[in-house]
Amino acid sequence: MVRAGSRRTHDKGPAAEALRLVKVSKTYGARDSAVTALDGVTLGLGRGTFTAVMGPSGSGKTTLLHCAAGLDRPDSGIVCVDGTELTGGGEADLTKFRRGRIGFVFQQYNLLETLTVAQNTVLPLKLAGQRVDRGRAKEVLTSVGLGDRLGHRPGQLSGGQRQRVAIARALVTEPRVIFADEPTGALDTRSAREVLLLLQRAVRVHGRTVVMVTHDPVAASYADSVLFLADGRLAGRMDAPTANAVAERLAHLGDNVTTGV
Amino acid sequence: MFLLAMRSIRHRPGRFLATLLSAFLGAAIIMTFNSMHDTAAQDGVDPTSAETLSTAAGVVGGYGTLLVFFAVASTLTVNVRQRTAELELLRRSGATPGQLKRMVVGEAVVVALVGAALAIGPAMLGGRALLEVFQDSGQVAGSVDPSFGPVALLTGIDITLLASAGAAFLAVRRATRGQERPGGARKFLAYGALLAGAASASSTFVFSGTDAALMAPPAYGAILLSVGFALMAPRLLEAVLDRLPLDGASGWLAVRNLRERAGHLAGILMSLILFTAVATATLTMQAVESDAVAASGLTKSIDAKNLETLNVTVVGIIVVFVCVMLVNSLYAATSYRAREFGQQRLAGATPGQVLGTVGTETLILTVTGVLFGTVAALAGIVPFTVVRTDGVLPGEVCAIGVAVIAVAASVTLGTALATARRMLRTPAVGAVAVAS
Repeated sequence: MVRAGSRRTHDKGPAAEALRLVKVSKTYGARDSAVTALDGVTLGLGRGTFTAVMGPSGSGKTTLLHCAAGLDRPDSGIVCVDGTELTGGGEADLTKFRRGRIGFVFQQYNLLETLTVAQNTVLPLKLAGQRVDRGRAKEVLTSVGLGDRLGHRPGQLSGGQRQRVAIARALVTEPRVIFADEPTGALDTRSAREVLLLLQRAVRVHGRTVVMVTHDPVAASYADSVLFLADGRLAGRMDAPTANAVAERLAHLGDNVTTGV
Repeated sequence: MFLLAMRSIRHRPGRFLATLLSAFLGAAIIMTFNSMHDTAAQDGVDPTSAETLSTAAGVVGGYGTLLVFFAVASTLTVNVRQRTAELELLRRSGATPGQLKRMVVGEAVVVALVGAALAIGPAMLGGRALLEVFQDSGQVAGSVDPSFGPVALLTGIDITLLASAGAAFLAVRRATRGQERPGGARKFLAYGALLAGAASASSTFVFSGTDAALMAPPAYGAILLSVGFALMAPRLLEAVLDRLPLDGASGWLAVRNLRERAGHLAGILMSLILFTAVATATLTMQAVESDAVAASGLTKSIDAKNLETLNVTVVGIIVVFVCVMLVNSLYAATSYRAREFGQQRLAGATPGQVLGTVGTETLILTVTGVLFGTVAALAGIVPFTVVRTDGVLPGEVCAIGVAVIAVAASVTLGTALATARRMLRTPAVGAVAVAS
């Protein structure tokens, strides 16, 4: 069982590896039409790293993110977040496990339309039953450049601003790992750049670990390293990526598939 | 377009279940009462029996028609509103507004026909049962045989069809134009209904205690007042919310959600207020009337008995219909929120917290609806009791009120929580992806 909601494991001091996957496999569909989305993926990501996961459509990158973040259960294999294994249990247990460990940023923002920007930002704290002081929302939102938009509704903001609110919401619980699923997929170049710089700063300044799924070589170039995925398997790794090198590598991804990192 | 309509019904039968249910119930009720016309028109029925049967058919048939239209229209409106995305997609793929209208109206017609056809059997049995009720109370001669003929069939099918097609047409027109109704007319109607209701309830005092029509003014007063309250539902809800100090994550979210969605929830609140007011007022006044007749030592006249049977039947119909409306609109409104629930869960809400939020919202809605419904009911009950008896508040009102409130609360909470629970079965990521 997950040691649900136990803050002690969290506060004992961070593990050296923020995220570890061991032989994680996931298959969708019935027996005769089954699709293997993940095929024995093993990887480890150190604390304070910014990693992009890339690969063609259907390569399993979103499944990888969902399994690593406890949003989906792998069929087999082990997932460890911040040194604690993510095991079975119901949705409530998984949710409590994620609190304080994992933050999310999605392509579609997923802000609640009925709440203001400030209320959206502190929602995870409220749900975790923590006291929320008024300054907290302002502090976090100021750090993403939206300190003057506290009372706005998500509907009144641009896409880039909404994504910055989502990042503020992901940062507010001070999670060990932030998972970003195509965070710039719906944004123009300039907004995308702001969002990527914020994610980069979360790593460099605040020591968070960021895992970002993307199909955009430019977005991937903001990361410290890029993991390539093809047919549900790891197909290589690139450190200190540049947009051109990533694009080049992606174009030849199908040519020779190497396993392992 | 008609082929597309048929295909969409065949592949998503669940979506049409709510519409089918209201069409079925509506047709069944209309046919049941209108079969009294058929029975009365037979040869060899004595004039007294024929008159009783025709009155029942006329009065309740009229009520029934209105209610069927209301129920079917509300279900179809919700149904079409939920399909805005699908209709938009079809429009972008080249469907003209006319084609969309034909598709939605075509679906509604097919569903209404199926509902009416299914209703024929139950309506025959219902007509038989109703005739027995009249015969048992001696209002209709025992020799009269039940008959289910052209009047029942034609009215049942025509009215259900007309209500479905008409409501679907209006709903799809509103959806494709995408404009909100102006608020001024609503405000005017609300005040009008409240004034008329107050006037009708006070006019009770003009009548004498033994007047046969004494029950009409307070009953209409209560109904009009509840319509007025129902039209003002969003503002009443906001007033209640301003006075609620709620702590805890679920309560906090519930209050904020309700405040934002007050306009959308008006339909549910409307059904609740109408249900509480109509059921409480009519049942209580009937109980007071029966007591007064018993106390005076007179045996009931045939008219009084007839009225009692009718009142109880009408209340029964209203209760069933408003319940269907309530369940329908609550189910639709809650299932529409699957994406929002997914977002809450991704932000760190456990399934229990999501259910807690839905439960709190529904509880606040129920309390608000029941509160104003009871006020409207009392506005009718008090004048009636003062004129008919020596008291002010009859003893029955407590028991009846509690029973009505219990039914209202269990229906609303049960529907909302069961639906939300079902929505939670989809993984959070999947629920969020559906609409995006």
